[in-house]
Amino acid sequence: MRQGKEDNSGEEEMTVKIRFFARFRELFGTDITTDVAAGTMFTSLIATMAKKNPEGYAAIFDEKGAFREYVILMKNGKRIDSAEAAKTPVADGDEIAVFPPVAGG
Amino acid sequence: MLFGDEGQERLKKAHIFIAGAGGLGSPVSLYLAVAGIGTITIVDMDVVDQTNLNRQILHFDRDIGRKKTTSAIEKLQAINPDITVNAIDMKIDETNAANLVGEAHGIVDAMDNYPTRYLLNEVAIAKEIPLFHGGIRGFYGQATTIIPGTTPCLKCIFPKSPPKEVFPVVGVTAGVIGMVQANEVIKFLLGIGELLTGRLLIWDGMQAHAEEICVEYNPACSACGRVKKTTAGKKK
Repeated sequence: MRQGKEDNSGEEEMTVKIRFFARFRELFGTDITTDVAAGTMFTSLIATMAKKNPEGYAAIFDEKGAFREYVILMKNGKRIDSAEAAKTPVADGDEIAVFPPVAGG
Repeated sequence: MLFGDEGQERLKKAHIFIAGAGGLGSPVSLYLAVAGIGTITIVDMDVVDQTNLNRQILHFDRDIGRKKTTSAIEKLQAINPDITVNAIDMKIDETNAANLVGEAHGIVDAMDNYPTRYLLNEVAIAKEIPLFHGGIRGFYGQATTIIPGTTPCLKCIFPKSPPKEVFPVVGVTAGVIGMVQANEVIKFLLGIGELLTGRLLIWDGMQAHAEEICVEYNPACSACGRVKKTTAGKKK
């Protein structure tokens, strides 16, 4: 499925799965599979998606467009530091997870 | 028997600290009491309010206006008179957290805020005892078992506190997550099964779906970054 994509990655569309949890799931749904252009960064992918829902966007991003500091980001099961997410590219077949810590008790 | 007289004896000799007598603290303390945990210390500073009653099953309608600790000790001793229950009416803070936990063998995080959770995390690290974490919101919950020195700590997993908010919780979410925590306590004390370590369990009650994600050390963690990592399961 991935064959042939690496050679012309500048023009290829890729498919990435975004998974939201807890409150973000209420705002965006559970799993979203989306096509993205090669070279898309983690932050811009989520920001583009989140802008479709202003309340959801405000839950994930601050006024400056940075991830809120408590939001947990993962790519293929590995933690991504929110400061690094802006320069972390996503690749075809990646699974992205975005979730807030649940605080009640 | 499931774990025999020897296992029951182990539970009897155990002392578990439960931080909070609310949504999570209620089911956790009730089940640990009936499991025969010999000493339970439960700490809370609140008074029972009518809005608590959908989930805080330690407290009854007649308890509205009473201290949660008064209500808690009454119920826990009634359900199992053979155990010792210490119910302490106090706010857990940095000056008293270590003393309150005392010689307990484990800490159950049944708090409703991250600043206090971080304090409990630090106490668990300092005393080298497990922290059984749980959190709930609406129909969602999360849980993990933290063993200092062998698993990521709470601050590795959640470095920054989310904002404090008041959000309703369906009582069963507290039950589901509280049962996971209580089950972890029992397994830890008996030394059986596979603990929820290095994994964050995420419960979605709307989908009736549980999944887990791996959690990792943060080498720069402000709470445990200095703790020397040891082989999993190795005793000091």
